[in-house]
Amino acid sequence: MKTQFRVAVVNREPVAQERSSLRRRRYGEAGTAWSYVLPSAVIILGLGIVPMVWSLVLSLQSSDLITPAQWVGLKNYQALSHDPTFRAAVGHTLIYTGLFVPLSIAGGLGLALLLNRRVRLIGLYRTLVFVPFVVSATAQGVLFSFIFDSHFGLANAVLHWFHIPPQGFFSDKNQALYLLVLIALWSGVGFCVVVYLAGLQDIPSELVEAAAIDGAGRAATFRYVVWPALRPMTVFLLVWETLQSLQVFDMVFVTTRGGPLESTTVVVFFVWQQAFEVFNAGYAASAAYVLAFGLLLLSIGIRLVRRGEERKVNR
Amino acid sequence: MTVLPVRKRRRWLPFSPWHFVLAPVALLFGLPLVWLVLSSFMTNAQINRFPPTIIPHSLHLDGYRYVLHNALFPRWFLNSAIVALVVVIGNLVFGILGGYAFARLRFGGSRALLALMLGTLVIPFQITMIPEFLIMKDLGLVDTLGALIVPSLVTPFAVFLFRQFFLSLPREVEEAAWMDGCSRLGTLWHIVVPMARPALGTVSVLTFLATWNDLTWPLIAINNDHNYTLQLGLATFQGQHRTEWSAVMAGNLIAVLPVLIAFLAAQRTFIQSLASSAVKG
Amino acid sequence: MTVRQPSGRMPTRRELLRNGLGLAALAGMSPLLNACGSNDGGAGADGSVTITMWHGQEDQGKATIDKIVTAFQAKNPKIKVNASSGGVLADSMLQKITTALASGKYPDIAYIFGPDIANVARSPKVANLQPFVTQPDMNWDDYYPAARDAVTVDGKVRGFPALVDNLCVAYNKKVFQAAGVAEPTGDWTWDDFVATAKRLTDPAKGIFGTGWPAVGDEDCVWRIYPMIWDLGGSIVDDSGKKIGFDGNPGLKALQIIHQLGADKSVYADTKPGSDTMYQIFNNGKMAMVPTGPWELPVFMDAKTEYGVVPLPTFSGKRVTIAGPDTWTVFDNGSAKIKAAVQFLQFLTSGDQDVQWATEAGSLPLRKSTADSAAWKQHIGSTVGLDVFSDALSYAQTRPTIRKYPQISEPLGQAIVKMLLNQGTPEGALSDVAKTANAALATP
Repeated sequence: MKTQFRVAVVNREPVAQERSSLRRRRYGEAGTAWSYVLPSAVIILGLGIVPMVWSLVLSLQSSDLITPAQWVGLKNYQALSHDPTFRAAVGHTLIYTGLFVPLSIAGGLGLALLLNRRVRLIGLYRTLVFVPFVVSATAQGVLFSFIFDSHFGLANAVLHWFHIPPQGFFSDKNQALYLLVLIALWSGVGFCVVVYLAGLQDIPSELVEAAAIDGAGRAATFRYVVWPALRPMTVFLLVWETLQSLQVFDMVFVTTRGGPLESTTVVVFFVWQQAFEVFNAGYAASAAYVLAFGLLLLSIGIRLVRRGEERKVNR
Repeated sequence: MTVLPVRKRRRWLPFSPWHFVLAPVALLFGLPLVWLVLSSFMTNAQINRFPPTIIPHSLHLDGYRYVLHNALFPRWFLNSAIVALVVVIGNLVFGILGGYAFARLRFGGSRALLALMLGTLVIPFQITMIPEFLIMKDLGLVDTLGALIVPSLVTPFAVFLFRQFFLSLPREVEEAAWMDGCSRLGTLWHIVVPMARPALGTVSVLTFLATWNDLTWPLIAINNDHNYTLQLGLATFQGQHRTEWSAVMAGNLIAVLPVLIAFLAAQRTFIQSLASSAVKG
Repeated sequence: MTVRQPSGRMPTRRELLRNGLGLAALAGMSPLLNACGSNDGGAGADGSVTITMWHGQEDQGKATIDKIVTAFQAKNPKIKVNASSGGVLADSMLQKITTALASGKYPDIAYIFGPDIANVARSPKVANLQPFVTQPDMNWDDYYPAARDAVTVDGKVRGFPALVDNLCVAYNKKVFQAAGVAEPTGDWTWDDFVATAKRLTDPAKGIFGTGWPAVGDEDCVWRIYPMIWDLGGSIVDDSGKKIGFDGNPGLKALQIIHQLGADKSVYADTKPGSDTMYQIFNNGKMAMVPTGPWELPVFMDAKTEYGVVPLPTFSGKRVTIAGPDTWTVFDNGSAKIKAAVQFLQFLTSGDQDVQWATEAGSLPLRKSTADSAAWKQHIGSTVGLDVFSDALSYAQTRPTIRKYPQISEPLGQAIVKMLLNQGTPEGALSDVAKTANAALATP
């Protein structure tokens, strides 16, 4: 039984596939490939590279975007390293990401397993779980401003019911960031659910049935059949949610504007504030690039780890 | 279809006991919709009551009247629909082509190209929107729907997601089709795409919602109210000192409902037909 | 379109040729060459001019401007005014105009908040209206001083006043009655205000003495300046290199807010937009709220029984802050500037001034308008508007300095600290001084 599953897993490994494609190399393949890739490359790079280079140059300047900029070299980066607000923003972003990414993926998987059964109204249940992901940031802002009002909010009324003293929520600098994570989970987990559900539907049922016949329990079936089969979904969600949470902005903008007392100032909010509120666009760009370098290091790190794993698998 | 094995039990309830778990969970997530529906039928005075009104004593159509009284509202809806639809189609077509090339075809520099494409995601939009605006200006697209469509016509994520998905598909079926003399595009269209439904679904949902709910970029790129998207139009209901809350709620509901209906419908056809096709895969 | 030249400087022949030829080659319109040297840039062949205005208004504000535009075009058939919100409300205009300026494609007129004009005006693309305002028919001195100061940066006029408002205290009559407390008379001190707020606070009934926006943005910050000015302080000192409220004025003002926070008599509204604060007031859960005239129509809609009195003082001398906004004019050629000035003069004078102030819930920009019968009639129909209108005569305004956002930001944080009852006024003030002075010291 186990070997059978390992075959399934190895089959899904990119490296193994590329090897076999090497064998099947044909004349004209590169030309076809380029014709397929060209539209994407033109649009993505045409509209992506110029802004990237532009902001890199901007990060080396002292600029307010409306008067001629001055070249300052790495001074913006030096200043950032001493800026307590920026340091705090990095901290908040890391806390947010560190909590949101694993929790949303775990929660999404749990809910997807729960929703992956044939009972009446299941379509409605699935749709409802997805609702918060669809509701715009504006509507969410209004909703949470009255749920989490420290004095008149619904949340404190509920807590009161359970004899829990009223909480400050968004007016408490020790709670605001965690509350944001909670809201983000509530609104974002639906997406993970949908992705996992699609993945679960795709697992051939013979595989699960075979496991059941072989006497595998639910836990074993999940571990050896379901979880490996969901790997492409998990990798995608991991990359996507990490990128989204490191660049979180909208939620902060509509609910807290970085407050109270800068306790929810995240990196992209810092960037926006510097560029459009205090006219330090150069400084803002350098903060954006620090984030970008962070992401770059992260992706290189992930790649190295995966390469190591692949080697193990191939051995 | 992978339904976790259900062991036959004596029925002690007229419905599955799972409803005891599923219903509260669904309710927790669905409540804001209930609230959105209720508040869209309240007057401004009811919404402005503090502590908030949860169940209104009377229902009103003020919000809908305000929204529909606005002659441009249907146009905004149409604009949003056009933009979202074109963007979704663009992402599917170019994403599939690009993703397939990266997954299955060998060409020089493919790794570097993919890395470069993904690399454009690491700079937050709050900075890149300025140069992006400059490019739109040079293309003569500022204040047109084109400015909203072109930059997201294909996103690195669509390409990446399709690539990931194609890599996970078994090659044998494609090879068989090849042997039968199917062209490469034919194989892609008849064999690969039907197997990629989860990816098609994910990309459609993501790009549709990202475009449909976007406010940051239209705010910069659009000037004339004839070219507003729905979200941009709704944002203008929120005045500096006075907000037409009932209209904002009604408008938001009108914006959300088609998406939910589409999702509900798509589920029936897309997830379940997938279930039957998955058996063959 | 012609080649833009900064006002006053004549283009060199080579520049003229190069720019002109480039354009001519590009558009195939050599007649444009003639327009380069002359002084009517932006005009069409028949002398007609089209100007674009981003007013950032929707709903009633937009309807009012549309009406005024129609009236203006009837009188001036050669000027076409393309007025639209610009796709944004005034709140997001700064971001939009920054992008527009960076790209070189910008309107002729835009609605810019008072505290932002100094920074926007650094752009060479912002017009200098100094030559226009000295013309006698402009009657420039008729605008209230606060409104004039708000559009003047470094001694140059960069736009027209767009809106002027100020702060007074609105109080909820029912809350005072229910608590058996006498209504404020306007002859009061900040200590009276703090004591009244404390007396009216009733946690059991969920009633607050007063409210204060606590996001730390400009709406939070501008409310402290009347106290600072009253105590003899200023926002920046005469050298322009240091804040002008370090020491007693800043400390005393922060102490007042700290007291409100410590008494828990203030509702600190930590949500963007301060909507909740006014909702609470309108629902009889807040006794007093410092606010501007824009909120009066909202109070009336909500059928709140309210009264308005001037801000409390320390010295007995009346003081308040005016928060004027501006119609900033941009340079798309001299003909367009001229047309923009003509339109803005029309928009901000006489009947139009009354019309606009009435609709926007603001105050007249010109003294002559304030004396007009139309305005007096409007005052009669709005409770408390007379108090705001009278306050215009003594209202002061923020200085139009470039570094203002770097003062406002830390000061906002200090105020929020006080409102949330964290830290001491001394500590908060020294934090502001450190951050803001560092920013002011760098050129």
